[in-house]
Amino acid sequence: MRLSATEAYEKYADRVFAAAFAVCRDRADADDVTQDTFTRYIARDQQYESEEHIKAWLLRVAVNRARDLTRAFWRKNRAPWEDHVAELAFEEPADSRLFAAVMSLPERYRTAIHLFYYEDWTIAQIASALHAREGTVKSWLSRGRKLLKNILMEEWDDDE
Amino acid sequence: MTNKERYQRAFSALHASGEMMEVKNMKNTKKHYVRRAVAVCAAAALAVALAGVAYAADVGGIRRTVQVWIHGDQTDAVLDIQGGEYTLTYEDSQGQPRSQGGGGLAIEQDGSVRDLTEEEIVEHLDSPDVVYGEDGSVTVWWRGKGLDITDKFENGVCYVQIKDGGETKYVTVKLHNGYAWSDAAYVSPDRFNF
Repeated sequence: MRLSATEAYEKYADRVFAAAFAVCRDRADADDVTQDTFTRYIARDQQYESEEHIKAWLLRVAVNRARDLTRAFWRKNRAPWEDHVAELAFEEPADSRLFAAVMSLPERYRTAIHLFYYEDWTIAQIASALHAREGTVKSWLSRGRKLLKNILMEEWDDDE
Repeated sequence: MTNKERYQRAFSALHASGEMMEVKNMKNTKKHYVRRAVAVCAAAALAVALAGVAYAADVGGIRRTVQVWIHGDQTDAVLDIQGGEYTLTYEDSQGQPRSQGGGGLAIEQDGSVRDLTEEEIVEHLDSPDVVYGEDGSVTVWWRGKGLDITDKFENGVCYVQIKDGGETKYVTVKLHNGYAWSDAAYVSPDRFNF
């Protein structure tokens, strides 16, 4: 199966953007990554097993593209992520605190945390997408959770 | 509420800009370019630009000095390229340091995707630009020419033919949603930023 570019964009652009933002912490970069990802989708004239397969492919491309972008030398001069957070409409004040706490994590931790908690991916899926070993991803998640707990205290439960 | 539910509620505040890609040269070359406008901290970028050629070389990039048109003014600029991405650093007409960046992808006729080459980026820098002013004005710039098309839109679209010497560019401009150009014919508005 295959969704048209418009259908795929309407369904998954926000998720792709969120994943990209979780990695690169910059609105302009996340928009660029979203565009790049859907450009690659359009160019890749291929059938997929399911819509879930399409979503997984898009997220995988977006996360890796965003990680590449964060390493670009010119990117050192970008606007701070706090500027964009101030523009977001959170439902509750606690949402803003959680968002800021995640953004303060090291890149690998917050990428793994995002894919685990937002996309509901398994450790195996995250390891595959990030080209890392499952044990390494477990470690990133564990350290990320510990840091979130330290920052958010009672607003973040102890979980696995 | 679980951590997962809290997380999903918090991050559901993030939304893509809603603007889809700008497609250029589609009819001629079958290549699509994604364009990027980057807000770079000007002073810091200038410091990077002045840091020396070795910096770009160290990270596998390319650095060269180019002449570019910036909104009708021709100026010297330092162009850094790495992995299909570029940064252009220059002084504006008031002598203030400015920096902009961009980059993207090229799609070959067989559907394969690759980074833009140095030549394609330089070509891109010589392409028409559309400036949406904070006062609602819309201006098409190409090389030394600027056309105010603010009042020329019909149904949210304006078609602009702009010439320089023997060259002609056909620019399709959407009032609120970007533009596309071609050397051969106007790009249909439904072919970009859908």
